[in-house]
Amino acid sequence: MKEEYTYIGKRVAGLDEKDKVLGKVIFAEDYVMPGMLHAKVFRSKRASAQIKKLDVSRAKALPGVTCVLTAHDVPHNDSVKNVVGQTTEVGLLEARHHVLAVDRVRHYGEPIALVAADSPEIAQDACELIEIVYEDLPGVFDPLEAMKPDAPRIHGDNNVIANWQLRKGDVEAAFEQAAVVVENTYRTPRQEHAHIEPESGVAWIDDMGVVNIRSATQVIEHYRDVASVLGLPDSRVRVLGTLIGGGFGGKEDITVEVFLGLLAWKTGRPVKLTFTREEMGYGRQKRHPYVLRYKTAADKEGKLLALEAELVSDAGAYVYLSPWVLLYSTVHAPGPYEIPNVKVDAYSVLTNNIMTSAFRGFGGMQVAVAYESQMDELAKSLNMDPLELRKKNFLKRGSETANFQPITSEVLLSEAGEKALAALGERTKGSKSRKVGRGLACSWQSYGRMTYLHDTANAWVNLELDGSAVVRSGIPDLGGGQRESLRAITAEVLGLKLDEVHVISTDSQVTPPAGTVTATRALFMSGNAAKLAAENVRKIILDEASELMKKPPQDLRLHDKQVLARDGSKKMSLVEVIKVCAAEGKIPQSLATFKAPFTDPITTHIIRDPVFADFTFSAQAAEVEVDTETGVVTLLKHAAAHDVGRAINRNRVEGQIEGGAAQGIGYGLMEDYLEEQGVPVTWNLHEYLIPTSQDLPELSSIVLESGSGKGPYGAKGVGEPAITAAAPAVANAIRDALGIRMCHIPVTAERIFWALREEEGKG
Amino acid sequence: MATYDIVLTVNGREVAGKVAAETTLLDFLRDRNFIDVKRGCDHGDCGACTVILDGQAVLSCLTLALQARGREVITAAGLGSWEHLHPLQEAFVEHEALQCGFCTPGMLMTAKALLDKNPHPSREEIREAISGNLCRCTGYQKIVDAIEAVAHKGDK
Amino acid sequence: MGNFSYVAPLDLEGLLAVKAREKEKALLLAGGSNLVVYIKDRLIREGTIVDVSNLKELAGIRLEAGRIFIGSGETLTRILESPLIHEHIPFLSESLRQFANPLIRNMSTIGGNIADASPIADSAPLLLVLDAEVAIAGQGGRRTVPLKEFFISPRKTRLAADEVITGFSFAVPEKGAGKFLKLGLRRGTACAVTSVAVWLIADAGKVGEIRIALGGVAPRPIRAVKTEDLFRGQELTAKRIAELAPALKEELSPIDDVRGSAAYRRAVSARLLARAVRLCAGMEE
Repeated sequence: MKEEYTYIGKRVAGLDEKDKVLGKVIFAEDYVMPGMLHAKVFRSKRASAQIKKLDVSRAKALPGVTCVLTAHDVPHNDSVKNVVGQTTEVGLLEARHHVLAVDRVRHYGEPIALVAADSPEIAQDACELIEIVYEDLPGVFDPLEAMKPDAPRIHGDNNVIANWQLRKGDVEAAFEQAAVVVENTYRTPRQEHAHIEPESGVAWIDDMGVVNIRSATQVIEHYRDVASVLGLPDSRVRVLGTLIGGGFGGKEDITVEVFLGLLAWKTGRPVKLTFTREEMGYGRQKRHPYVLRYKTAADKEGKLLALEAELVSDAGAYVYLSPWVLLYSTVHAPGPYEIPNVKVDAYSVLTNNIMTSAFRGFGGMQVAVAYESQMDELAKSLNMDPLELRKKNFLKRGSETANFQPITSEVLLSEAGEKALAALGERTKGSKSRKVGRGLACSWQSYGRMTYLHDTANAWVNLELDGSAVVRSGIPDLGGGQRESLRAITAEVLGLKLDEVHVISTDSQVTPPAGTVTATRALFMSGNAAKLAAENVRKIILDEASELMKKPPQDLRLHDKQVLARDGSKKMSLVEVIKVCAAEGKIPQSLATFKAPFTDPITTHIIRDPVFADFTFSAQAAEVEVDTETGVVTLLKHAAAHDVGRAINRNRVEGQIEGGAAQGIGYGLMEDYLEEQGVPVTWNLHEYLIPTSQDLPELSSIVLESGSGKGPYGAKGVGEPAITAAAPAVANAIRDALGIRMCHIPVTAERIFWALREEEGKG
Repeated sequence: MATYDIVLTVNGREVAGKVAAETTLLDFLRDRNFIDVKRGCDHGDCGACTVILDGQAVLSCLTLALQARGREVITAAGLGSWEHLHPLQEAFVEHEALQCGFCTPGMLMTAKALLDKNPHPSREEIREAISGNLCRCTGYQKIVDAIEAVAHKGDK
Repeated sequence: MGNFSYVAPLDLEGLLAVKAREKEKALLLAGGSNLVVYIKDRLIREGTIVDVSNLKELAGIRLEAGRIFIGSGETLTRILESPLIHEHIPFLSESLRQFANPLIRNMSTIGGNIADASPIADSAPLLLVLDAEVAIAGQGGRRTVPLKEFFISPRKTRLAADEVITGFSFAVPEKGAGKFLKLGLRRGTACAVTSVAVWLIADAGKVGEIRIALGGVAPRPIRAVKTEDLFRGQELTAKRIAELAPALKEELSPIDDVRGSAAYRRAVSARLLARAVRLCAGMEE
């Protein structure tokens, strides 16, 4: 960290931000094409039913309707895989899905038919003319019930579609030796992404016969799935990813793409589809609700001895990414602690509820609620300070996790915990009816994909004749500044101004494949790829300049479109050097591949090998005030301290931390996508509540930089880690305020109210 | 279906069109290429569609186009230009008061309406003013910083 | 597609003529925050949208002979910011700040909020404890109805099909203090789970007069008249205040819904009532 950088580590505004404040960005729904049709998805209003009759004839006949498609109109209805964006086949947990329901619906909102019409209103009118007769089938809506042998089967023979285990040491023996054992069952909610931009896109067939899909997606690799549904070669489908108006995992699985591809292909006309806010509720995947039974033991000094846990996640009606979410949960289940004896059994179970899949944290948040609540309970039992207890047990560089993965990075959890708590300042005074409490939570969250997926990212950097640079990368931009990071890194390496670097991104036929914007991998993978490519280009320039300036390349540097001798003795214009390169056929360009660490595929249910490249370690602290008359919680203060390895852009890193904390606070206090017998109850943003500006206090974001990350310049990823510790910090603060452990989150006012009344009844 | 001719002023320019009785101002604007006015929920719950109508910040998805007949509308695109950003736009960029940018146009309009009425709001007053504009990316922290920075500079 | 037409009457007479002609098909558009949602959700598929947002006869906030008159077309923002309201009944301006958010307040009118007759219309408990009267006009003439007799059930009031609300009036309280406490599931843009408004006039340590109104605990906003009767004349002490709870619970008929259970609403309303009374009496919360 001794180098002087122009952009790395600074607070520098990007170019995309300017476009955004001017309202110039063409988001997915903003795009229009001549002759464009409007689509609508006709969806099931039953959670578990047989379709006895489906008649779309009246819908088809409505003036202004171009087509109505059902399952038998789809060339390969069953081809949609939900193994997303992979570079190799993984087998084992690959699960299939279909585009449109055939004769059975398994959740409320399941797509049954597609309409394309002259306007969104006519498309909706057409949906109202579709005649459907259901015959209800028994359904199951609780994953614990769904595990039972007599439960209705959702697909195939077994509702349990994934099972992972951790086995280390001997937990039974350890429990017998322990000074304290704490056992609790925690429940976490179904969380809705609630990104402000709905899922949307426009598709058309271009003059080369390629199906183009311009959509807000985190995964442009969906072109392969759309191609297989249409029975086309992969190269006949192209996905152009837009700047995304928020994703958080909600735009990771296929959303509008396959519907758009189908309709464009069938009608030969451009088609637009945007989901309504209610449709986003029941038509899109949610965060998995979990039931977590945790039994944790420690000795009288506070050293953790054992963890036994059972996790059950509600996979909803289709598998999607449930097995991988469960894998993340399993690996992260012990928390960032050294525990010699660990037994974890995790299950993901199908139900007739709305589907569940990727959401920022990807299984790491649910277990954090459990492990951090347990730590505070242990601290209480041992009469120990919560941070002191944790300090005795934190992982450190060289520690081995319960899946036998060595920790290779620095672990700054002690410092993070101290700083987060210190940032809360002086403790607010409570009163008779308003109890104040403080809580801390520490977390770990991987960045980068599971290493057995052999993740790679490519970037192509070149210098134009005028000395400006172009970076091409397939990476989509979620709003976290993925494109701006590439721009800043390239500008840094090549000594250019930010507006001298042009970024072309997110086009499956034009930009080199960079993978998905998921799993907190973008900076790690694409940032590294761009850095490699830019360094290769720099080498071409400096090697040439070295000959021209008669100085060894290591004595030269690039700055402000000049090649400068480090001792200040000579300089030459970059443009001149490029001219010479061009004349010699040495184009200053490079297509570079960055590879994440590769490990072998997991073949058993017991995870005994490294699964992730690295982790980000974090601490968040909260101060709450609880109104004991009503149960209402007011969050007074919140601080977050994260070791980001290296902050590439200080503002953006803080923004991720603050935004993640806010989303985690919502999870802890107010967010719950509710269903009754599989039918949604919280329909839209009026009933599903996310924090407003008045629900959040001043958020303190503290950036620690160990430099030990695997990303460019020693950076780690922060996108998902930002959210993980927020809810447990709030839950622990409530515990401190009331003396009662709330195991069911969100910790709503009503839940607190009854817990308090019950406690008073005991007294 | 009954249709009506309307004319209104948007960002200083006259815009005319034919609308149905129930056409919303949001649809009217977006159909005429004012794509900076966003549709987040279409039910008044998110604030992404906020515009300034005769000086007041309102939800264009719950305002009928006919109600805006003969009146003045300002959208984010009318605030500034690439060469001359409005102080609020500049502050949003400088403070990174946006990430994905989808809530930003609506947020800017609410902020402008606030500062036009109350040039020196406290942080709490800022939070109250923007409480109808949901943001999922930023946690609002830097948005409040940016608006406060403009308020302190004394510009509107 | 919907089947709507639009008219913007120039005056009250014109409005009443449309109402008399179209009756239930006349859809009054003031702020639009309710009507436009019903149209989007296709709960209403046809009708004549009657834009009243420019009618002078429905505007105005004035003080006359000790009574305040608020036109039904006044937006909540205008009421909140009115110097007259701030001077004579700050309880109203302070309490209205808890209504939704500033954007909705800029658009919603008090007439629209009351006419929609939601059990959780936030302006209702406020006007109820002020003993407001509803001024109504129809082609047959004018009349007033006490607000506490005006609500029937959600979206149903005592308005006849050809009538409109022209405004609200209440006597400016010479004495006493008011408090409005709203329980929402979040602080910003919160729908009330339950809400309580109190107007208390203390008289030598006793309850001279008390008016209690609640939202979210019955099919309509209510005045808890039995509890008021019980408390009137009583000693204004913490002990007596605590005795209000069982009496109040008798008058409530809350339901279970996505925002909360009936039991919670019943229990919390009672506590909020006690707290509101204590605050009005200048006691500790």
